[in-house]
Amino acid sequence: MKNNDQSRVFDLTDYKRQDFSVCLGCKICASVCTVNDLSENTNPQDILQKLFLGKDIPADEPLVRYCTGCYRCTGACPWNIRIPEVIRALREELAIESPFEKAFKGSLSIWGRVYEPYVLLMAIPFLLKGGYMKHMTRWMEYMGIHLPHKVKRA
Amino acid sequence: MNYGYYPGCSLTGSANKLDKGIRQVFAKQGHTLKEIPDWNCCGAFEFGDRKELSEFSKKNLEKARGLFSEIVAPCPACYKNLREADEQNEFAVTHPLDLFDDAFIGSIKPVHDLKGQVFTPYYGCILLRPKETAIKRTTVMEEVITRFGGEVAGEKVKDRCCGGNQIFINKSVTEKLSKLVLEKSKGTIVVFCPLCHMAMKTFSGERKVIYFTDLLLYIMGENVPKLQSKIERGGKEETT
Repeated sequence: MKNNDQSRVFDLTDYKRQDFSVCLGCKICASVCTVNDLSENTNPQDILQKLFLGKDIPADEPLVRYCTGCYRCTGACPWNIRIPEVIRALREELAIESPFEKAFKGSLSIWGRVYEPYVLLMAIPFLLKGGYMKHMTRWMEYMGIHLPHKVKRA
Repeated sequence: MNYGYYPGCSLTGSANKLDKGIRQVFAKQGHTLKEIPDWNCCGAFEFGDRKELSEFSKKNLEKARGLFSEIVAPCPACYKNLREADEQNEFAVTHPLDLFDDAFIGSIKPVHDLKGQVFTPYYGCILLRPKETAIKRTTVMEEVITRFGGEVAGEKVKDRCCGGNQIFINKSVTEKLSKLVLEKSKGTIVVFCPLCHMAMKTFSGERKVIYFTDLLLYIMGENVPKLQSKIERGGKEETT
């Protein structure tokens, strides 16, 4: 990511660059990070530091790709920094969006709500390619089928 | 008591069991849930722009204004988004687990008990973090299970992440994280979050995954034919 794009990351979150100056570098965020349970080597503190210093963050950084938004880092952070929201903004800035997320937003713009059959239909090529179809039988056990509701004042 | 009700998108579809369960449990306790008229999606976790995300929930609060002062939102993502959008604390946005207090548990007249069965109450992430929006009653599921004779297991994984947020982005992430939780837990997994339910159900194999509301209804003697085999078989399989 180019340095000059980083200001947008801050615009998207509730943070300013100087807010990350308080990071003590204790790495407690890394010690509790769910992404590290995946045998990936990641350090959220490193991302905060890079944002503070205006250094590049690669799109293939494991935390950017796999952050689950679990907020374990925030719970452990002495400054309560909401790292998942920073990562979510980074994903937005880096235009990392799965076809499912695209379909989710598509449903919102049509109906104002997520209509799951539409989302699944729009994401079918992705679901086929990603080996999701084998789970379909189980999903159908509890999936409620209904007609979409269009929000009038969305 | 009359509550404004925000079901959220999942509860109209893949989590319709949770919706039905909540409505039944509240009705049994003499409470009325009335949907916020024409509510829209809260945006879940899909938006990187905090202001854009907040706008969705602000619209919902706008629709509730003048109609409700207390809003119940069962889906953890919806609950968090609504709480955060209510910057002035104009509404009491509440999660059902916080309404299941001692008086509520004490008022349950049990038809079935949970003796001889093991359960892992699994809260997941968003009900317990971040602390500003976390629920207050963080052991309510354990309290109910033990009070009605069940055994609680898997305390160490109750707040771990199932990776549900990544299920339609990087499935392998969810698979690995859900299996970690499944391995370190015992018996039937009791969940409240629609996303945890989906992630766990997808990778649970023969293990049973149920909503907490279904467990409550089973204890209360509701929907028994449907729930009996699921709850009794699921809980005992692990003990043998």
